Amino acid sequence: MRAALAIAGVELRRFLRDRSNIFFVFIFPLLLVLVIGSQFAGGGGNGRIAIAGDDSALRTAVASALENDGVTVSLTGADAVRELLARGRSDVGLVISPTAAAAFDAGDGVVLETITGSQQGTQAVLQRVRTAAAGLAVEKGQVAALVGAGVGESQASAALADVSGSMTRPSLAVVDIDRIAQEFSGLGTFDLGAAGETLLFVFLASLAGSSTLIQTRRLGVMARTLAAPVSARQAIAGQSLGRLTIAVFQGAYIMLATSVLFRVSWGNLWLSLLVLATFSAVAAGAAMLVGSLIDNDGAASGIGVGLGLVLAALGGSMLPLELFPDTLRTIAHITPHAWAYDAFAKIQRHDAGLVDILPQLGVLAAMAAVLLVAGTWTLRRSMARAL
Amino acid sequence: MRQLWTMTASDLRQRVRDKSVIIFGLVVPLALMFVFNLTIGSTNDITLKPLTIGASVPADDALAATLVTALAQVDSFAITVDEVSADEAGARVRSGKAQLAVVVPDGFGDAVRQGRPAVIDVTEGDGSGVETDIALSVMQGVLDHLSASAVVINAGVQTGVARDRLGALAEQAATATPTVTLTEGQASTEQLSTSGALVAGQAGLFLLFTVGFGVLGLVAEREQGTMARLRSMPMRPGLIVAAKGLVGYILGVVATSVLLTVGSMFFDVSFGSPIAIAALVLCAVAAATSLMFIIARVARTAEQASIAQSILALVLGLAGGAFFPLAATGLAGRLLDLNPIAAFTRGLGITAGGGGLADIGVPVAIMLGFAVICLALSRLVPDRGREL
Repeated sequence: MRAALAIAGVELRRFLRDRSNIFFVFIFPLLLVLVIGSQFAGGGGNGRIAIAGDDSALRTAVASALENDGVTVSLTGADAVRELLARGRSDVGLVISPTAAAAFDAGDGVVLETITGSQQGTQAVLQRVRTAAAGLAVEKGQVAALVGAGVGESQASAALADVSGSMTRPSLAVVDIDRIAQEFSGLGTFDLGAAGETLLFVFLASLAGSSTLIQTRRLGVMARTLAAPVSARQAIAGQSLGRLTIAVFQGAYIMLATSVLFRVSWGNLWLSLLVLATFSAVAAGAAMLVGSLIDNDGAASGIGVGLGLVLAALGGSMLPLELFPDTLRTIAHITPHAWAYDAFAKIQRHDAGLVDILPQLGVLAAMAAVLLVAGTWTLRRSMARAL
Repeated sequence: MRQLWTMTASDLRQRVRDKSVIIFGLVVPLALMFVFNLTIGSTNDITLKPLTIGASVPADDALAATLVTALAQVDSFAITVDEVSADEAGARVRSGKAQLAVVVPDGFGDAVRQGRPAVIDVTEGDGSGVETDIALSVMQGVLDHLSASAVVINAGVQTGVARDRLGALAEQAATATPTVTLTEGQASTEQLSTSGALVAGQAGLFLLFTVGFGVLGLVAEREQGTMARLRSMPMRPGLIVAAKGLVGYILGVVATSVLLTVGSMFFDVSFGSPIAIAALVLCAVAAATSLMFIIARVARTAEQASIAQSILALVLGLAGGAFFPLAATGLAGRLLDLNPIAAFTRGLGITAGGGGLADIGVPVAIMLGFAVICLALSRLVPDRGREL
């Protein structure tokens, strides 16, 4: 066992000394969590509108009505509005002509040009614009009606302000029981991204590292290790343990860094680490298998990166599993990522205990066992093969 | 010229025999396109679907009834309003028979008229989305209107308007309110469909890996010592560099063309005018290849070169929207636009929207500008591998 631990220790030290890993292991995962978190959390929840036109009472009224409705408003020129829409950077454009602004000031009817983009959600934002537009000049009509009934204009305005202040407006109380909305409620900005990214990078780093196993064989390190009083079993156990240690190290680093920097809540830490360790064992087994079946390290790193990204995308590490269609969600569970994602989701969102995540842990452990046994067997065979 | 072609052809033969260029340049991006299209592609359907609402409205409440009428008048998609009891409305949403439950409380009309709190309970169920957002906004518009009517009537009471004229006040206010009419136009679209963006993004990202197989061969030759032998041949040293550049360029053009063609066939995407697309591909590959020349100068070893290449590829790919579109505006948006991968995707967006050669000036200028700057920089940065 001591020999195996020593080999694993050397593998981890070599991994940490490799300066190229600074970016891929320490910086890139956090960068991705940051970018994904800010993309999916930021921005007005009720869409984006770009308004073109000079500063006017009408523009101010439209902009503030829409902002009060939770729409993100940007004020710009007419050409810029068309470009923003064409490129999908805004949902709806509104062009306020000088004629419209003057007509609004004079209390006349106004015609506004709206331009819609072609992405999802545009229609909902357009409806918000219609609702906001309908309420723009309400007060002018109210004053006119009261004046028509013989009330003085200033008295009418004062009475309207007084009544508006004392009356409670009818409102909508919206409760969302949508399965997905419920599932994600209470999650921090970065929580969802962090769990997925951890799984992605643990697996990706392990598979990309399979090329070191090929180098170890090519440079004769394995043969020399076996020349020492170390059995083949110990040497292979050391290699497996090394891969496992690196995978756990990578995952634990992302968990720690995201919880410190982005306040990601990982729920029960010990259970999360247990999921990570089991998932890392699967990753280590896969890395051993790739590293001993393929003899060309360029091809191995290509397959490693490709497989790492494809399995992560399929396993819900890039788009949450909850957003998958049902059939695809079932298919996703051929990947270890999906099982680990489910386990993390239970721990993070539902305070699950060990018993609750036993099915996921069991599947991951079974996958790890199969891959580690197969990896050990192929590694043993590959040692006898000339490179 | 013959020497240039001999070196290029020999390198191309080697690269084609080498499995890694096929894996990185074609197999991995195609596999990623396929999986992304399965997952992300399935979530972005922009057609509005019919909406079913279970509504509980008190009988003989005229104000509450206007809510249902307004919902039924929405014409951009079908809304079916089933008037049921409050419990049944909730049950329908929970069972998925309706996407929205609307429960108007008893005495709603009177509460609104008197300015007392009146809250309509709305429950959004599974499958709620853009359609339910539209319905909610329509209902909010009705509530705003009802509230405005109540305000003017109460202001009339306060200012002593005769009782028999109060009822007409709301209607008069509505008539006297200046109308705000919206004319609706459609923006020209320069956006790719979700599948199109995935295909273009992956092609752009992996282009940065593919061209490296040519140019970064310079570093490998240096490390293996074959560079010194090549230099001893009776030809200008510039030809060796040119040959590597040409290999990268040819590999890049072939791989990107294959990816765009296969991607558009598999995922039913049309990128538009083939001539404009060809121009975009040639410019994008030029930008990517020129970037590799900087790496070839700065990197001491092949390992360093491949790491620098992966970092640049991932950062530029991520910033260029290879995985998901980045929604940045202002200065950040302008900076992101300078990225050749972003310019490539944007150019394909323009051609997909019907644009031709004349419309892709900006992205082409960005990619060519990037290529020129990178080539100039590659002459200026110190050649760190020379001592090897």
